[in-house]
Amino acid sequence: MLRIFTSRVASVVETAARANLSATSIVSRRCMSKHVVESEEEFDARYESFFNRPDIDGWEVRKAMNDIHADDLVPEPKIVIAALKACRRINDYALAVRYLEAIKDKTGPKQGEIWPYMLKELQPTLSELGISTPEEMGYDKPEFASESVYDMH
Amino acid sequence: MAFQLSRHAITISRRALSTSLVKSQSAKAPALNQEQVDSYYPKIGNRDIVGFGFNGNPNYQDRPEFPAPAVRWAPNTEEIQALRQKEAGDWSKLSMEEKKALYRASFRHTYAEMKAPTGEWKSILAGTLLGCAVAGWFMVWLKAYVYPSLPVSITDEWKEDMLEKAIKQQQNPVEGVASKWDYESNRWKN
Repeated sequence: MLRIFTSRVASVVETAARANLSATSIVSRRCMSKHVVESEEEFDARYESFFNRPDIDGWEVRKAMNDIHADDLVPEPKIVIAALKACRRINDYALAVRYLEAIKDKTGPKQGEIWPYMLKELQPTLSELGISTPEEMGYDKPEFASESVYDMH
Repeated sequence: MAFQLSRHAITISRRALSTSLVKSQSAKAPALNQEQVDSYYPKIGNRDIVGFGFNGNPNYQDRPEFPAPAVRWAPNTEEIQALRQKEAGDWSKLSMEEKKALYRASFRHTYAEMKAPTGEWKSILAGTLLGCAVAGWFMVWLKAYVYPSLPVSITDEWKEDMLEKAIKQQQNPVEGVASKWDYESNRWKN
């Protein structure tokens, strides 16, 4: 009788333990985060296809520009070409020049290397769309001085 | 006049329902609901909200790290609206003045102007040095008029007497001053 009782208790405990074990393993599997590393090609393709969407609007163009600008990188020329063409589709010339300026600023200490390369790659697109570079517009140097907002009142 | 008014009303309602000229032309869902429109207009004047702003607010800021602010810098005037019509065409037909006008309608400062040196460092340096000078003269004044003169125990004669007394009393004979004094020949050990 005792033997039957103990074997029953043992089997119950074992089942419970197994159930518990499997439950924890499921939970732990669910809680585990899998860190997906996006490759550079995937990143480029993602933004290029985003800018190339035919129905993109001004909000989305600006958001993508601001997001790319916040990353620690200078975008590939093909992304910039797609962005300039997106500016053309939303009829915003100012934004196109602004983005060129932003990229030039983003090149930072390597401006002497990256910016001429970028201009060389962009030149066909710039002449096709009729976009003047910041240098052509005279925006590589300050054009106007303005009063600081902190000195106005 | 009535025609002009109604046209104006139409532009306002379009602007209210949508966020940019482009969006009002396309049949997309408005990005702003009526509540947001009421809270932003007429605070920002006759300006288009054209994007998602810094921290999500529809305001204009010249920040190098945020190239495309949420609203255009300049309010919509008839000239700029006419220029926007021309902008919809070929950009190579725009003159340089028109291109610049379009840019300044959207943005206040170019990047070069944002990053131009302000000369502010001069006033900061001047203020810092002025603070140091004031503190120095204040200390001079305190010494002259506030603090009592230094105690007599700071003089060299007093300190020499104290040393002599310490040697006579054989203070700290193991590692201190008395261990370095030769009591037989009455001079310092080498």
